Amino acid sequence: MPVFKTPFNGYSVKFSPFYESRLAVATAQNFGILGNGRLHVLDLSPTSPTLSEIVAFDTADGVYDVAWSESHDSLLIAAVADGSVKIYDTALPPAANPIRSLQEHTREVHSADYNPTRRDSFLTSSWDDTVKLWTVDRPTSVRTFKEHAYCVYNAAWNPRHSDVFCSASGDCTLRIWDVREMGSTMIIPAHEFEILACDWNKYDDCLLASASVDKSIKIWDVRSYRVPIAILNGHGYAVRKVKFSPHRRNLLASCSYDMSVCLWDFMVEDSLVGRHDHHTEFAVGVDMSVLVEGLLASTGWDELVYVWQQGMDPRAV
Amino acid sequence: MESNTPSPPPANSPPPKPRDRAGAASGPTPFKPPSAGNTSDVVESSGTANPGEIVSTSDRTATVNRNALGRPLPSRPWEQSYGSNSYGGYGSALNYNSGLGSGMYGSYSGLGGGMYGNGMYRGGYGGLNGSGMYGGGMYNGGFGGPMGGYGVGMGGPYGVQDPNNPHGGPSSPPGFWISLLRVTQGVVNVFGRISILIYENTEAFNMFMTAILQLAISSSHSYGSFYSIDFVLTGLVLFDRTGSLYGELARFVLRILGIKRKQRKVCPPGPNGLPLPGPNDMHANQRFIKGPKAAPGESWDSVWGKDPSK
Repeated sequence: MPVFKTPFNGYSVKFSPFYESRLAVATAQNFGILGNGRLHVLDLSPTSPTLSEIVAFDTADGVYDVAWSESHDSLLIAAVADGSVKIYDTALPPAANPIRSLQEHTREVHSADYNPTRRDSFLTSSWDDTVKLWTVDRPTSVRTFKEHAYCVYNAAWNPRHSDVFCSASGDCTLRIWDVREMGSTMIIPAHEFEILACDWNKYDDCLLASASVDKSIKIWDVRSYRVPIAILNGHGYAVRKVKFSPHRRNLLASCSYDMSVCLWDFMVEDSLVGRHDHHTEFAVGVDMSVLVEGLLASTGWDELVYVWQQGMDPRAV
Repeated sequence: MESNTPSPPPANSPPPKPRDRAGAASGPTPFKPPSAGNTSDVVESSGTANPGEIVSTSDRTATVNRNALGRPLPSRPWEQSYGSNSYGGYGSALNYNSGLGSGMYGSYSGLGGGMYGNGMYRGGYGGLNGSGMYGGGMYNGGFGGPMGGYGVGMGGPYGVQDPNNPHGGPSSPPGFWISLLRVTQGVVNVFGRISILIYENTEAFNMFMTAILQLAISSSHSYGSFYSIDFVLTGLVLFDRTGSLYGELARFVLRILGIKRKQRKVCPPGPNGLPLPGPNDMHANQRFIKGPKAAPGESWDSVWGKDPSK
């Protein structure tokens, strides 16, 4: 299976929604604690199991997350640790990039997510406790969502409702927002420890998953959010990212500080359906291709990016 | 925001999502139906738009007060004294001093009292070993105790380094102060990020760091601040788990701090034959710290830079 070695520590990996062989990787020097960052755009070879770099962009601080535009096949949004949000055009040479640098967050930006339905806006979440809504054509954010009481690690658009998103915070709550409302529309005290990630089910717009420092993933139904509809246990340390499958309703992937990438079916009793221990350091980035069913990618602090087909061993040559 | 930036390329659409092809739809939802129009118009017509808002720290505090959570929230590492963030947090795991654990991690360890934690010393940088009480914010204010944070073992609060302290102004040229503050802020950022990225997310690092801090705290009693940092760095190597991760961490922290370990020796006598007063003398501290060195490699050139184009 294809593997790519990055010079810095991996932080996030995302498949392009336009090209089935393309993916972007966010990396940060010295484990993201101090140093520079680099954004890689990689391409899977159609003939051999190799990943080759198309272009890379350097930043003055670590890149914690990356999001592909849903409206322009060459645009990337980077969440940078210096508080800036940068927009890159992969069709332009590195010298002409970034095409935008948006400086409003006052602390590290930890996630970026592009609106998949309206396709003209994106969200960023930050350690400054806020989530910001941006449009590509404006130099400032459209509005700021400031209700969380601690770092917001993740914000994700609902796949069907173009005005609705969720956010996951270190204040141990999940919040559901509607961009037309002043405050959050729902507060779910989802875990007893920090929540590091959240994602919506792609086939049921009322289901979402939360991943926490308490090592668990919980599945919630916003129609009755008092108790989770499923609790997925199996990771040995904090769960860093969670991602619902774009192809199968009940499937989701997660990665963790226990260095593993896990696959889950939240509707069955033995919900852990796959476990990959290919990373030798914290696994902090995972994604599932929307264009190729079963194609997975992960990255971690071992400076490696793996791409593999579900059911295969990521390390298989 | 760069000037003369190129416009985004013409919009195009990705292939339809599998969920759209399937035509899946759920039943009734609690969400309002989507509004027509683009995002900017939708938000502006709802009256919730607030373009370009910068959220300050005070706003965040107000947010906390509005928050209806029934559980204690950790303080941010970069808003506290050293004593109650990184070191204090780790110290709490040692049950070394409950004051130490009061800040960020008190709520996790259960050992912290909260009494010395966030707020009270916010803005100060004093206090390894819980000496934030003396080194930093409370008594000296502001940046009064950047060295106090390390200097506990050397016998005093080091508040004299506060430029506003009337009892012993800085005797060094401004260049040193600028360097010092940059180093200090760097340390805050480093440990802030370590706290958030690693410590709070995995117990694995806790075990490792606990051992290091135990070493550092004990050493600080004997040799003073910068030796304790040196011991931390030594610890990073000693407790190397993988052979690469923490060794590298140690190297870059050492490099960033620009701190050189000196030989342990008795303080040289002052001009009149008496020992220099140590903690109250800037030069004494300078013996233990060097300003940040020139970046040795290209990749470090922009570590502190604010160039938005990078």
